[in-house]
Amino acid sequence: MSPALEARGLRAAYGATRALDGFDAAIGKGELVALLGENGSGKSTFLKVAARIVSPDGGQLLLDGVPLDSIGRRESARHVAYLPQNLDLVFPIRCLDLVLQGRAPHARGFSADSEGDRERALEAMRACDVVGLADRDASALSGGERRRVLLARAVAQDAGIWLLDEPTAGLDPRHRLEFLELLARTHASRGTTVVLVTHEIDLAGDIADRVVLIRRGRALASGPPSETLTPERLRGTFDVESRIETDGQGRRRVVPYAPAR
Amino acid sequence: MRRTATVAGAFVLLAVAATIALVVGGVHLSLRELLAGDESARLVASLRAPRVLLASLVGACLALAGAALQALLKNPLADPFLLGTSGGAAVGAALAALAGFSPFVSPAAAFAGAVGSSLAVAALARRGGRLDLQRLLLAGLIANAFFSAVLLAVFSVASGQTARTMLFWMMGSLADATPGRVLALAPYAAAALVVLVAYAPRLNLFAVGEENAAALGVDVESSKRVVFLAASLATGAAVAFAGIIGFVGLLVPHAARSVAGNDQRTLLPVSAIGGAALLVAADAVSRSAFAPAELPVGAVTAAIGAPVFAWLLLRSS
Repeated sequence: MSPALEARGLRAAYGATRALDGFDAAIGKGELVALLGENGSGKSTFLKVAARIVSPDGGQLLLDGVPLDSIGRRESARHVAYLPQNLDLVFPIRCLDLVLQGRAPHARGFSADSEGDRERALEAMRACDVVGLADRDASALSGGERRRVLLARAVAQDAGIWLLDEPTAGLDPRHRLEFLELLARTHASRGTTVVLVTHEIDLAGDIADRVVLIRRGRALASGPPSETLTPERLRGTFDVESRIETDGQGRRRVVPYAPAR
Repeated sequence: MRRTATVAGAFVLLAVAATIALVVGGVHLSLRELLAGDESARLVASLRAPRVLLASLVGACLALAGAALQALLKNPLADPFLLGTSGGAAVGAALAALAGFSPFVSPAAAFAGAVGSSLAVAALARRGGRLDLQRLLLAGLIANAFFSAVLLAVFSVASGQTARTMLFWMMGSLADATPGRVLALAPYAAAALVVLVAYAPRLNLFAVGEENAAALGVDVESSKRVVFLAASLATGAAVAFAGIIGFVGLLVPHAARSVAGNDQRTLLPVSAIGGAALLVAADAVSRSAFAPAELPVGAVTAAIGAPVFAWLLLRSS
């Protein structure tokens, strides 16, 4: 069985700045994979290439074994949902309409507002506990509400692959935990493949099946958290010294304590 | 259902404006005379009809282009003249006037200037094969600044009479409406309306952001080109026949958004019809306020537009 998403020597750049420089990774169907790396290491760029926002300038990205550039944009949007870190809204838009946009790649002329689309959008909002926000203006949402509405949109999009860019950044502890619970629940019940970019090492250790470490646009290591989140690997990824501890619940905790010399 | 009702409401507004525009002016008709259709009333109305039609087409083009660009650029302050169209048109018209062709008589020069300038702005905004929307705004700014310098140079060498003709053209006027001009402008307005309404669902995705549209499967590069070209052609054609009429393209989409919401499938047609209604009404004011003298219609739209805009701004906060 081919992986849901596979990068082979993937390259991408913003003008003269190289973001991905021969990135290799294989993400299996139904896996939850965390992408870890320092700022500017190319993590978010990988998500944007997979979401067809940024065009690669070398290498290959395969979706279900098929090169992405041989698939129509709209067709790939039916399989891949992208959840940005922020929504910088300048025009008012109801949450229901934002979730309905998830149906756009499935609709003729991107015009999704049939009764069926509306039903699916509301169902997705119920699954993500945001149906009560349907008529609210999305620009007035809190960080936690916005993440859940965007997840509802990914559910409505009916995509098998979800790409999440720092989904817990800026959330308070309660909303962070609530969102992670919701993510775990929807991911498990739908069997979706999830790639998430995060700076939280322990979050990756807790929820990811596999961790991919990335630096300067290349993958350094890939494997289960216990094999990748080691002091040696983290020194190579982040230039930090760290130690591994075990908390009261028996979970591994990574404690970075000093910049590497 | 709600969409149909909103569009119908905008049409009623346009019908009222058109009726008023047919009866007011140097010779005042009563509504009864207009409806009874006696010969003199018919004559006056038939003289005014092309002007009403031209005003509605020009207003529709400007408001439609403004609404589409606001969504595409995700910028509520975008306006059809921001992207260099008006400067290019004015220079085209001024050069024609300098060569002895009144821009009121020969709209081709202004149209060529408008479209040429839009294409130059788009070329400036290209970066690595992509049309960069932030650069588009800057390129438009640069083009307008350059063209206003050219315009000042042309003014300084033009004769008093030529300069006066140019000035009146730049203030906007519908005084030279003829059935021929109405027929010439109609295809541009119709084509822009058809294309932009077809792109309305994509523009809804752009209104949340270009990356949003791309991630949802839109071919963003071709969409940007199509929308920019359709908006530029509609603006260029409107400017060629009526000069530079400000505020319609900025104000009408805002007013329409406050009643129709920001779904482009409703907003674009409502903006087009509302723009038509506003310009027909403004032209009626410009003809009748100091009849037989005429106010420049651009001054009327700005005089109506600025306070309404201020009111919308205060209400939204």
